[in-house]
Amino acid sequence: MSWTIKHCLRLSPLILPYLVLFCGGVFLTVCQSFGILTPLPHEGGALDAYAKLLADPAFFASFFFSLGVAAVSALLAVITGTILAYRVWQLPRQLATASLVYKIPLILPHISVAFVILIFWSPSGIVASVAHWLGVIQTLHDFPNLLYSGWGIGMILAYTLKGTPFSMLLVMALLFRFDVRQIQTATMLGASGLRIFFTIVLPRLAPALHTGFIILFLYSFGAFDIPYVLSESRPGMLSIHVYNLYFKHDLARRPEAMAILVIMFCFAVLFIIAYSKIVNRLESGVRKL
Amino acid sequence: MLKKHIALIAFWILFMLPGPAAAKNTEDSLLQIPFQQIAEQARNHQVRWYMFGGWAHVNAWVDTYVAGEMKKRYDIDLVRVPMDAGIFINKLLNEKAAGKKTGNIDLLWINGENFKNAKEAGLLFGPFAQQLPNIRKYVDPESMAHDFGYPVEGYEAPYGRAQFVFEYDTAAVSAPPQTITGLNEWIRANPGSFTYPQPPDFTGSAFIRQLFYAVTGGHEQYLSGWDPDLFARKAPLLWNWLNAIEPFLWQKGQTYPKDSAFLDTLFSRGEVAFGMSYHPSHAQNKILEGSYPKSVRTFVMKDGSIYNTHFTAIPFNAPNKAGAMVLADFLISMDAQLSKYHPDKWGDFPALDLKRLNPKERKQFQSVDLGPATLGSDTLNPVAVPEIPSDYLEALEQGWKEHVLDN
Repeated sequence: MSWTIKHCLRLSPLILPYLVLFCGGVFLTVCQSFGILTPLPHEGGALDAYAKLLADPAFFASFFFSLGVAAVSALLAVITGTILAYRVWQLPRQLATASLVYKIPLILPHISVAFVILIFWSPSGIVASVAHWLGVIQTLHDFPNLLYSGWGIGMILAYTLKGTPFSMLLVMALLFRFDVRQIQTATMLGASGLRIFFTIVLPRLAPALHTGFIILFLYSFGAFDIPYVLSESRPGMLSIHVYNLYFKHDLARRPEAMAILVIMFCFAVLFIIAYSKIVNRLESGVRKL
Repeated sequence: MLKKHIALIAFWILFMLPGPAAAKNTEDSLLQIPFQQIAEQARNHQVRWYMFGGWAHVNAWVDTYVAGEMKKRYDIDLVRVPMDAGIFINKLLNEKAAGKKTGNIDLLWINGENFKNAKEAGLLFGPFAQQLPNIRKYVDPESMAHDFGYPVEGYEAPYGRAQFVFEYDTAAVSAPPQTITGLNEWIRANPGSFTYPQPPDFTGSAFIRQLFYAVTGGHEQYLSGWDPDLFARKAPLLWNWLNAIEPFLWQKGQTYPKDSAFLDTLFSRGEVAFGMSYHPSHAQNKILEGSYPKSVRTFVMKDGSIYNTHFTAIPFNAPNKAGAMVLADFLISMDAQLSKYHPDKWGDFPALDLKRLNPKERKQFQSVDLGPATLGSDTLNPVAVPEIPSDYLEALEQGWKEHVLDN
């Protein structure tokens, strides 16, 4: 008994903020989504906000669009990150220090990456201006519409740019502990570069890839900064929709904003559980080296 | 040792007990005592004004002119805190829910649905407006009776007036449309060159309200208050109008600028032909700032152009309510209003009633050179139409998302 109390006390700097800030926040969000503890007295039933959302096709459009942007960008970031990390790891020692450049985007805030994409790729941005100057396009209107294509390409570019060095970092950590002799043996036995990568290296990197994917995917699914600069009006990202409901509409609509947040939170939790279950099942069939 | 503890505890109890009660009394007395005494109480304190911070020239005016005068006249230190209205309302809501009796906001720049939200949630102190001598002297009570159709009841003090204008570059467009019908034709004839900020952006929302008046037969019918049947009957006319022009908008209406700053950028880069602003002097400010070409001018539609008054209000938990009242009073003073009216300062239109000034004072306002890009009141006043009650505003923003954006 006293043992647990002692440990709880010792852990309290960690547990207290978690309980008060995180659990408190989630609790309040859930309450307000049911119309309890809202700034204005809520009229109507507890589930009104959810009923309204679930009956609205635009909500689902937003939800699946956010999901798509998050999945594509996380996948791209993990794939590019892994390939780049593998190539950097293969570089001669002298070049390894120089390759630290890849860490630079890590310290750039998301919002700056969003502006970089905007400045380069908007219809009157740097790329369009250069193309116009070179005579590739006649007027600025001829520039292909990357940022406003309806496919969220701008956001996907930004998230990929930001996520790639992050997955590189995770993959590099594993690669540096990798036993090179396995690769040397495989080469001596005549395995091709591709074969080595897919059968020897990749399975070892799997934990980093899964972690990287989950973190990047869930972050981009709910994040606000990049969509605020780059998202289009339709289909809108969920985070922008929540922001508008929370800050710019009548207070009576607070439960709706909170209900979206609750749905996003539940989705994130379910996603992590389902993902790790699937990965476990897949990996239990794989022979461990 | 024990004695020391008891003394300490007793000290804290004494310290904490009478606090709120005493504070409450002095606060209520602020609503009765003469302004002279309020100014005396405020002397030598700090006043924190939370306001929209997106305009560099407005920030500069507050930091130099207003702060300087407050120090000189009342020995008050003015601190400007930039924050969007929606955000400080939420901050106050959280403070109220947490029972925080002393906050850190003294004065708010607020109006419209934010004021309605704040007043309904009991976030405001008042009614204080009639305590301010400059309001009693210069302001037409009728002009501050309602804010977006919602009764003010003295919980806000007016300090500026704004009216909706369109902007165009004379070098690119020779004759801008004069009416909403003309605008419709122009948009169809020039695909890709027009757009408006996406509601609930402040400016975009004002644009659709103005259109709503124009395409549904005028503003008078809406001013008597929220009528759901009337709205249900009239709103489809607006949705049809907007949906019909959508394919001819910038980016074929696939996307809209997120806010007015985004539209300003598009306009200054020539991606769209028209800018719009709820501030008549916006274009002139942008020219002075160097971000718009000198050839930019403003125009209004004959069908009507919405105007509103912006206000200041005091939060329920303002630590220095006396100071906030002194600042609110100074902002509506003859001197501050005149300084604010100059386009190189801000160019914000006065909220005081020019008829209440003496001829010499009136002359000072009339002789202000607004600059070539700002329309004079002789053009603006004849087309001015009042703001719609805020229930319509919310319904229009919600309806726009449902019927235009998600359509």
